[in-house]
Amino acid sequence: MKTYFFLGKGGVGKTTIAASFGVGTSLDNGNVLVVSLDPAHNLGDAFNSTLSNKIKKISDNLSAVEVDIEKMIKEYLNELAYKMKNTYRYLTTFNLDRYFDILRHSPGIEEYAVLEAIKRFIKLKEFDTIVFDTPPTGITIRVFAMPKLSLLWTDRLIKMRKRILDRRKMVENVKGRFEAKIEGETVVLTSDEKEDDVMQELVRYRAEMEELRNFFSSDNTTVNVVTMPEELALFETKRISESLSEFKIKLRTIFLNKVIQCKKPPEGIKGKIKEQEEVLKKMREEFRGIQIKEIPLLEHSPRGIEELKELYNNYLI
Amino acid sequence: MTALLAIIGGAIYIIGYMVYGRRLEKEVVKADPNRPTPAVKLRDNVDYMPANKFVLYGHHFASIAGAGPIVGPALAMVWGWLPSILWIWFGNLFIGSVHDYLALMASVRYDGKSVQWISGKLMTPKTKYAFELFVYFALLLVIAAFMNVFAGLASSTPEIATASILFIIVAMIEGYIMYRTKMNFSAASIIGVILLILAIVIGFKFPFIKIASKQAWYVIQFIYIIIAASLPVWILLQPRDYLNAYILWFGLIVGGLAALIAFKGFSWPAFTVFSPNLISGQPSPFWPTVPLIIACGALSGFHSIVASGTSSKQLDNELSGLLVGYGGMFTEGFLSTIVVLSIAAFGMTVLKEAGGDMAKLASPALIGKYGAGVIGSTVGKVGIFTHSYGKLVGSIGIPYKLGVTFGGLWVSAFILTTLDTSNRLARFAWGEIWEPVKKTSEGFYKFIANKWVGSIIAAGLGMLIVWGGTLGALWPGFAGANQMLASIAMITAAVWVRNVQKAKKVWQYAVLIPALFLWVTVTVALIWYLFVAVPAIKAATTKYPVAIFTIIMIILNFILIGDFLGAFRKGPKPEAEVK
Amino acid sequence: MKKLSDLLRKFFGGIDEGLKEASVSLIEKELEETENVFALLTMGFLSGIPSPPTGLVLRLLPYMQREIYVMMLRSKNLDDVFAETAGTFDID
Repeated sequence: MKTYFFLGKGGVGKTTIAASFGVGTSLDNGNVLVVSLDPAHNLGDAFNSTLSNKIKKISDNLSAVEVDIEKMIKEYLNELAYKMKNTYRYLTTFNLDRYFDILRHSPGIEEYAVLEAIKRFIKLKEFDTIVFDTPPTGITIRVFAMPKLSLLWTDRLIKMRKRILDRRKMVENVKGRFEAKIEGETVVLTSDEKEDDVMQELVRYRAEMEELRNFFSSDNTTVNVVTMPEELALFETKRISESLSEFKIKLRTIFLNKVIQCKKPPEGIKGKIKEQEEVLKKMREEFRGIQIKEIPLLEHSPRGIEELKELYNNYLI
Repeated sequence: MTALLAIIGGAIYIIGYMVYGRRLEKEVVKADPNRPTPAVKLRDNVDYMPANKFVLYGHHFASIAGAGPIVGPALAMVWGWLPSILWIWFGNLFIGSVHDYLALMASVRYDGKSVQWISGKLMTPKTKYAFELFVYFALLLVIAAFMNVFAGLASSTPEIATASILFIIVAMIEGYIMYRTKMNFSAASIIGVILLILAIVIGFKFPFIKIASKQAWYVIQFIYIIIAASLPVWILLQPRDYLNAYILWFGLIVGGLAALIAFKGFSWPAFTVFSPNLISGQPSPFWPTVPLIIACGALSGFHSIVASGTSSKQLDNELSGLLVGYGGMFTEGFLSTIVVLSIAAFGMTVLKEAGGDMAKLASPALIGKYGAGVIGSTVGKVGIFTHSYGKLVGSIGIPYKLGVTFGGLWVSAFILTTLDTSNRLARFAWGEIWEPVKKTSEGFYKFIANKWVGSIIAAGLGMLIVWGGTLGALWPGFAGANQMLASIAMITAAVWVRNVQKAKKVWQYAVLIPALFLWVTVTVALIWYLFVAVPAIKAATTKYPVAIFTIIMIILNFILIGDFLGAFRKGPKPEAEVK
Repeated sequence: MKKLSDLLRKFFGGIDEGLKEASVSLIEKELEETENVFALLTMGFLSGIPSPPTGLVLRLLPYMQREIYVMMLRSKNLDDVFAETAGTFDID
């Protein structure tokens, strides 16, 4: 399966480009799914179709979906709360509700949900290609960073867990199986890695994160940036590129959108065109080895499959 | 005579327990078997867990007993055996055991919080901080004093040096088989004891570690401390601690038995002079300086930490407290009694055989003048005990040298364990002391609170202080800090008895008078120490640190009494909740 | 006779239990400390210290009863840490 991520600030035309790319790919290369992870969904508008949290077939070989991240977060927390309420019966003084309030707003909860969504979709075997319209750049970068960061933490916690289990084993060698009676319930504390739920979860999670890290860095994953020919956009693109290389993720193509192509520019925008050219020049210097595709500022934004197809054929190939 | 004194000592303790102890339990502590202790009320199977009272007694006693109850009384013999034993019996009965018992029970009433915490609540928060400082100084002085004792034993008696080093190896082996293999606990314990016996016997038969330089032993101990205190506890400290208990009980029971059977008269004078040359070689008046020599055995501040640190959280019932706190201290008193009577019976013989100048010991007055010197230059200030003990147990058939080796290992095993734990605790306290710096200079804090830095500084300061120092100068420093701790605890107890317990006036005084007597005695003793003993210390590296610590302690002490008077005058709180 | 054998059994059982406790008390204390730190690290966001990515926390939480339990107990005694630590090391 091939995966494509489209990054970009709000307003650069990321969703339109991503949708167009999806349409074009579906024509020659198998079954395509376009996923919007951006909480400010525009994907439905681009396709001129009402999209929801359920995958909708738009045309032959093309489906789309708008992921409800908020709903996902709520679901995860509710599931967790349910799990905990059952096992944490004796922690009567532990205020679960307040705790979950904090969790709900903790930094990283959105990134977590986005990552889980990505994991979910790339497992779908019926699709040959998945195109992701990503959330605002900040979140997306942190999502890409998650596997490496998670691995660092997981390794640290695994080391600490091993020590806990090791000491428990020592006490076990003398006193036998570690059984603690906590508020009326017998809790068995194991010293065996295979039996320890925490250790097993840590190991499982580690494997998943490693898989994700490899997935993001693999050749089957393409990360593209959609941007505009403006100074600030250039800086941002640079930052994105640096972050990506830190996580060993390759930036394949820069889509330079809304380029003003005017044969006889009026006085008012002559300066803008000059800026454009400088940015373009700088970009070619900065990003050698990366494909740069220019898309002109169109008279009206493409909407619907036909127009998106045209955009694809004219400028994205 | 040995039998007589052992019996009288035992009797005094038992009667004291039955009569005085039970009255304290009723009138002061007002122990209520129906009031749930924190071990029951707050049971969490982590820290709070009721323990069988005999088991807790055994554990508590093993925790409070160390090298202290042996070294102190051995040093005190220059006053003669009678004053020493009277302090061990009656100082223990009216001050020491009361201190231990009340510390335990007050802690029980405050949900297992420490005496330090309680003092902060009943007096002022300053008191709590002073406590921490005292402990830190005490730790540094413990390291110095104990290093000196061990160096003295190891350099003069290769048997003891060898057995001690072998014991380290034995402990590590025991640690491995007990914690890393599935071997049955009893089997592992038996193997440990057998290896222990082997270490003693090998040390006795093949004393191959012959290092005669005390200072070499200081360096060896310094390295030992740094390494040992950095190891995970299961490797050395935990198994050591465990095996030490066997040594303790064996030494105590065998010593007691031997005392009863030996039937030896005392060749040591009952009383020499009021101020023999003892501390720093200066004439040391029995009052106020005896607490600077005999600490543990009669009274020890560290006990309040143990009592309120762990024991109070494991007490199953308020009525069990008497056995654990009061009884535990008495047992230590009995241990010290055996130390005294073994030296009283055999000390002279030992000195004669060691080639001591008997002319200098011909009369009590002469012993007062030259005793410490003769002892120090022949068998050593702690050696007098190990050799006397060797002779004592000879009466039940144990070969003399073997007895000496055992006696020496008894002292050194506890010393090496204490050096390890003191360093760990000092490292921790050090980090706490520098906490305020964290905000202003994080880099510096990171460096200074690094565990290696803390460890090396504590061990290093200890070594610095001990390098040119004598036991006669160092031991009182440690004992003084220890007694200051006891002072705070005792005074806290007095406030508790008055303000919270609202005991009858007569019983308030039963606690208050010993507390004040203790405070006055220790303050005068420390001032005496500062102005008489410290100047006589020759080594500057010993003199100045000790002087500084002593000055700080004396100042804190006066602040303390101010806080105390304030709290005492405030009187009992109205019936509102104290907690 | 039965009373005597019961008494002896209790006596030696008590000694056995006591000895076992004595032989591992320090290790158990270290264990609790590590469990406490593990909980603190995982739930760090509750007290403002750096904590693992939320995803990891969410995954581990259902299994951390013991560690949270220890952490809550320890936090009750935070104002007495020094004496508690001192009491663990039998110094005399």
